[in-house]
Formats: sequence, structure tokens, C-alpha cells
Amino acid sequence: MKKTKSELPIFYETAHAELASALEMLAACKGTNSQNQALGYFMHAKDEYNHARFFFNMLSKRGNLASTEIARDFRFTPPSLLTKGYISNKGFLIDTMKLKDFIAFVYTNELLAKSSFENILNLVGCSTEEGKIISSIMKEELRHHGMAKKHFLSHYPALQPWQLMIYRTRETINNKGRKIYDANLKLLDQLLTPLYRAMAFLAGTIAKKLNLNEFRRKGKNLMNISSFSIL
Amino acid sequence: MFIGVTGYNHESSAALVDKNGVLVDFYREESLSRIKGDKSFPKRSIKKLLDTNNLKIKDIERVAFYERPLSAFLHIVKEASLHMPKSLKLLTHQFRNFNRSSVSCYLDFAKFFKGLENKLIYSDHHLSHTLTTLAYSKTKKDLCSVVVDGFGDRSTASISQIVDPTEINELWECPYPLSLGLFYSAITDYLGFAINEGEYKVMGLASFGDSNSKSAKLVRRLMNWDSTSNQITSDMRYFDYHLSTSNSYSSKLEDLLGPARNPFVQLIPGDSDFQRFANIARGAQDLTVYLLGKIFTHAHKITSSRRFLFSGGVAMNSASIDTLAQLPFVDEIIIPPSPGDAGCAIGAAYYCYIKSSYYSDLNISKPTLFPSLKEIRNEEYLTEQIIFNEFSVLERNEDDAFLKAAELISSGEVIGTVLSNSETGPRALGNRSLICDGKNKDAVENLNTVIKNRSPFRPTAPAMRYETAKKYYKLRIEIHDCYKSMSSTCKCLKDNVSLEFPTTHVDGTARIQIVENNSSLDKLFSKLEPLGIEILANSSLNVSGDPICFDLVDGLMVCSRTKLRYLLTDLGLLKRKN
Ligand SMILES: [Fe+2]
Ligand SMILES: [Fe+2]
Ligand SMILES: [Fe+2]
Repeated sequence: MKKTKSELPIFYETAHAELASALEMLAACKGTNSQNQALGYFMHAKDEYNHARFFFNMLSKRGNLASTEIARDFRFTPPSLLTKGYISNKGFLIDTMKLKDFIAFVYTNELLAKSSFENILNLVGCSTEEGKIISSIMKEELRHHGMAKKHFLSHYPALQPWQLMIYRTRETINNKGRKIYDANLKLLDQLLTPLYRAMAFLAGTIAKKLNLNEFRRKGKNLMNISSFSIL
Repeated sequence: MFIGVTGYNHESSAALVDKNGVLVDFYREESLSRIKGDKSFPKRSIKKLLDTNNLKIKDIERVAFYERPLSAFLHIVKEASLHMPKSLKLLTHQFRNFNRSSVSCYLDFAKFFKGLENKLIYSDHHLSHTLTTLAYSKTKKDLCSVVVDGFGDRSTASISQIVDPTEINELWECPYPLSLGLFYSAITDYLGFAINEGEYKVMGLASFGDSNSKSAKLVRRLMNWDSTSNQITSDMRYFDYHLSTSNSYSSKLEDLLGPARNPFVQLIPGDSDFQRFANIARGAQDLTVYLLGKIFTHAHKITSSRRFLFSGGVAMNSASIDTLAQLPFVDEIIIPPSPGDAGCAIGAAYYCYIKSSYYSDLNISKPTLFPSLKEIRNEEYLTEQIIFNEFSVLERNEDDAFLKAAELISSGEVIGTVLSNSETGPRALGNRSLICDGKNKDAVENLNTVIKNRSPFRPTAPAMRYETAKKYYKLRIEIHDCYKSMSSTCKCLKDNVSLEFPTTHVDGTARIQIVENNSSLDKLFSKLEPLGIEILANSSLNVSGDPICFDLVDGLMVCSRTKLRYLLTDLGLLKRKN
């Protein structure tokens, strides 16, 4: 039970990440002007959808064993891809990044994905059925990484492999930075929660006295109410 | 040109109406982002409206947001403030996310579409629902609009009298937090299904339940109608949706009905807890039908109208419409193909149109069921390599492709369709569908389980021409249009063979679709009927959890990810390799 409880968030988050990659690749497929790239992104998206499906199945298995109360927190709803930041509110990467940066991003993140799966592999054990699936997913991530690298070098021949290394280091640092930033944010959040609550309490006390009856519509022609009012 | 927009609290979408009162284009954000139930600011939809129709910001006269943002915010805060400290978490959440609520829609317009923010106006939430529905009605005068949803921007249900499109008087409202929609969602949540998505499953599950069971009766008593005050009453102690961000029902509901369902545990007819949950769903469905009956009766009493527009999330409860149509004072009920909030973009766009002074003769044309325009970019070009590598083209010519598809269907195959423009609403009506022979049990089973992975208690809907429907089902003239958008179920005729069709539910009903003349399915039927096939099983083309396919790439992707082998497209009939 305890193991299930600690595993649930891992599979929950990984499933999010894989589905988000699938959507990013699908968007890239629809956004490109090259037929060959469209095919490449299409196949990549298909792989990522499959990865997501595996992780959702693994999540489901653990959710099944958990108590209803805990399981409810790990029920997947697609909009959480946005609220959790797996997909940016600004749009898909292909729409917000330069193509070169996008490919470099894929290149480095595939590798990072692979290494994060190593941890999950240790968790479930290499020889288990799930372990075998995860190993095969890792191979695919490595293949994606290789494809992105090939693509990058063939499109930007002036760039040398060592320059890709720089991209990789930068992305790794960014990733670590993101984690530290996240952790700091969480800490800050914990510290500020009492303050937020106090403010909410105060605002709530004021809100209690609000009289919204004035804004009732009963008996009114709805087409005659000012179209500039937000209340 | 006028744009209507929804978002933030519920599914986001954008609609475009021209100066002649014609709905030109419409997109749901989820179609484009591929995130089901996407409620973020509909930037992709608005961009697509502009791009596809070759419009610049200066070509847009007005943009309307579908509700009054501050009103929605304050009503929730006010209610929660009455229950402090229990509601403190919700209040904190509301204040902290103030800048992410619809109050910020002005800023989002300024950020993503500079210039549009100056053209922004606001409609009432329920007025947007009403105007959407009005667009689909042939008559635009002397009607009564009934809106029932979870929560709008000030009430959770309302009745208004439509004198004409410029005079719509609200006569009754149900104040938040009393809410039939939120009650149904709370039961959906309790039953382990996702809110805003699992309501269909509750409706399907209800058919297995017994109205006379203890559980059903307990649920049935959670709300009532007070005929002196003409108001819905509800025992709010059982619900937390107005007090909490994470819980829609309280522990008292579990004390009453037993433990809630673990969302990950499969629900299979015959399993130990199945009957209890089915009975609970039955109770929720019975209560919904009862309260809707009361609301419609009251609506008739205060407006004397016999023609009704019905919208809001609860209008998606297709299993209750047949009963409403039998109320003695009902001559007609119109339900738009997208009765939920996503459809409100259409009403909001019409709000701009009616409020503008650009027309000499106010004219709201009835929108088509397939308003979302096709890609401007050449799909054929984009998908050429994908199709070359992964698919073979069986027939290119449209007529041959349809004939071949018909032959495959008659031999028991399941076919996916990505044809012409996309549907407005949440239901696939043939252009983005998965179809097979509706009388072939094996084919329907294959569609349901092998390809779609649908819950075993949800039946697939049958689609057919009107002449066929008459032979098998008890159709009601009052809701004739509802059948075209699958908005209502109907009963099989007594002792009729249709009771045995695999598309018929355990309670002897079916959510039929009567295909429109000249629609894709109508064309297909002209090839199918000579082969002896008059009914298709029709489900939406998507992998469960995903939005319905929007473009050809989405369709190809579903084919690649599932066991689906055939795809009928504008480029011809495709077959997946290997
Ligand atoms: Fe992956
Ligand atoms: Fe990958
Ligand atoms: Fe609504």
C-alpha cells in the first residue's frame, strides 16, 4: 500500500509528460511545411502516445489498489496538462520557439526522458513485465534522440556536434533550474499560505456583506443591459 | 464580422458571424489543442477564425465574451464567504487565481490579438445559451427559453420569454448554489467519473438501475421542487461544490449512499457494487427528469408558450428529452447541437450582431450542423508522405470510395470518417465518426471494445434515414430536430425487432441520429441501402480520453494508434498498411 502511494505520483506525472510530448509532436507535424518532417513528427507522436498509454495503464493498476480517497487525486483530466505546465499556456513549442531551438529541445529532452525512465525502471524492476515495457520505451527515446540529432546536423551543417553538447548542457541546467525554481516556489507557497488564507478570510468577511441582488435579471430585458458591464 | 468567445470556466471556443447573420465558422479549442475539455483562452480558435477566413483585426466590428466575468467570480466568492472557515481553501484559490479567471479575458485579448480588446463587449451567460439555441430555431419570435446548467454568471437555471431577438425578458431564475447541473456532476464524481465528461456514463449506467431501489429513492430525495415558491430546493449538506475546490460532494453523501467508487476500478455489469452504483445513477436520472418537468411546467405557466428552446449542460441529458416532449403543453423543443458552454460562442457572436447597427433587416440564419471550415493549408500536401508510408489508397474517386466503404461495412468492417467540415457539438454526426453495420452484433462489439474501449454499459448510437427510423422507433414530432443532432433518445416501437438491435440500450431506448439530406452519411446510405444496410452504428472518431478528430492528421493518427483499418476521407478510401 505504501509503495503504491509513493508510485502513484510518479506514474501520474510521467503519463502527463509523455502525453504532452505526443501533443507537441502532433502540433509539429501539423505545423511543418515539409512532407518528410510531417511524417517524422507523425511517427514520433505515435510513439509518444503509446508511451503515454503504457504509463496510464501502470497508473491505473496502482490506482486500483489504492483507497478511493487517494485514487481520486490521481484521476487524469486532460486540462491538467495546461495547469501543471506540461503544455505552455502560450502555445505549443513549435509555435513559440525557433525551429532550430525546437529540434535542439527535442534532442536534449529525449535523452533526459530516457534517464528519468532509468529511475522508474529501478522502481518496478528490470525483469518484470512493466520493466520490459519501460526498457523498450527507453530504446525508443534513444532513437528519437538520435533522429533529432541527425536532423539537426543535416539542417544546420555548420553546427558541430560539440555545439549540440552546449545545447544539451544548457537544457540540462535549465531543467535543473526549473526543478530548483519549482521547489523554491513550493516552499514559498507553504510560507505564504497562512498569509493568503488570512487575506482570503478578510476578503471573505467583506464579501459576506456584498449585495448581489441588485444585479438580478428577473423582469429585465436581457438585450437592454449594458454590453460593457462585466457585472 | 462578429466574433463570440467562451472560455476559462468551461470549454473554450470561438464563433464567427457575418453581417448577414450567418454563422460562418466555429471552433472548439479542444479540437485544435487536442486537449479534451480545454478551457484556456481560445487563442488557437480565434487565430484560426481569422486565418481561415482571411480576416484582419480591423475587419472585426465586435467581439463578445459569453458571460459577465466579475459576476461569475463574485457569486462564487459571496456564497463561499457565508461558509467560512470551511470554504477558506476555495476562497484562497479564487483570490489567488483571480488573474487566471475570465476577469482577465480583456488582458488575454490584448496579449494575443492586439486591438481586439477595444472591441470587447459582454453578454449574460444564459443569454448566450438562449441566443445560440434561437439561431437553430426556425421561428425567432414568441418562444420560451429554458436554460439549465451547472452555474452561469449569476444563476444555475433560468426561464426567459423571447418576444423577438431584441427583447428577451428573464422571468425566473434558480439562484446559485442550488443547481441541478452541479448536483448531476457531484453524482458523476461520486460514481468515479470525471466531471464534465462522465455525465454521459451516468446516463448510460442509469438504465441498469431500479427506480424503486433504496439507493435510487435516497438520491431522488436530495432535491425537490417547492410549488409555493416555484423554486428548486436542495439539501446542501450533502454537497461541497460551493465550498471546496476538490470535493463536489460531502462525507455525508457517503454516509447516506455508501462509499464512493474508486475511479480506477472497472465497472462491469454483474460485479458486486455495480447494481448499487446503477441504482444511484437511476435516482439521479429520475430526479433530473422530475425537476426538468417542473421547470418546463413553470415555464409554460409564466410564458404561456408552447414552443421551447432548451440549452445549458443539462440539455445534454438526452435521456430526459423524450419525457419532456410528452408534456401536454409542448409543441416543440429545440436543442442546439452544442447545448453546453462551448456552443455559447455562437450565441455571443449573434449577441454582437443583434447589438450592432449594421443590419437593415435582422436575420439570424439557421446554422448548419457542420460549421467548422476545413484547413486552408493543403491537407493533401501535408499528409502525402504519411499516407504513402503508412496507408494504401483503395479508391480515390469519391463515388467509388463511398461504394467501396459501403461494401466493407456490409462485410462487417468498421470504418472511420474524416469528411468535409467538422461537427459543431460533442457528438459525431458522420463527418468525424466510427461507423459499422448497426444490426451486426459482432461489428458493433468490435467497434465498442476493440477499437473504442467504451464502458460496457454505454450503448453505441444508431444512425439512419427518417423513413427507416419510422419503422423501428417511437418518434415524436415535437423534437424532430433533436434527432438530427442526437440530442434525444427514443423508445423502440412495441414488440419491434429494433429491441434486439445491438445499438438498443437495456431499457429499450436508443439515441438515434436521423441523417440530414445530402450529409456525408446520407450519401453513404445511398450506397448502403441497396446492399441491405439501413442502420449504422455511429460513434465519435477518437481514442477514449481524446477530443473528437478534427483534421485528417488526427484521423490518420487514430488509425495508427488503434486497430481501425479503414478511413473514408476527402482524399479517398484509405487502408492502414500491416
Ligand atoms: Fe516518450
Ligand atoms: Fe520520445
Ligand atoms: Fe452554461
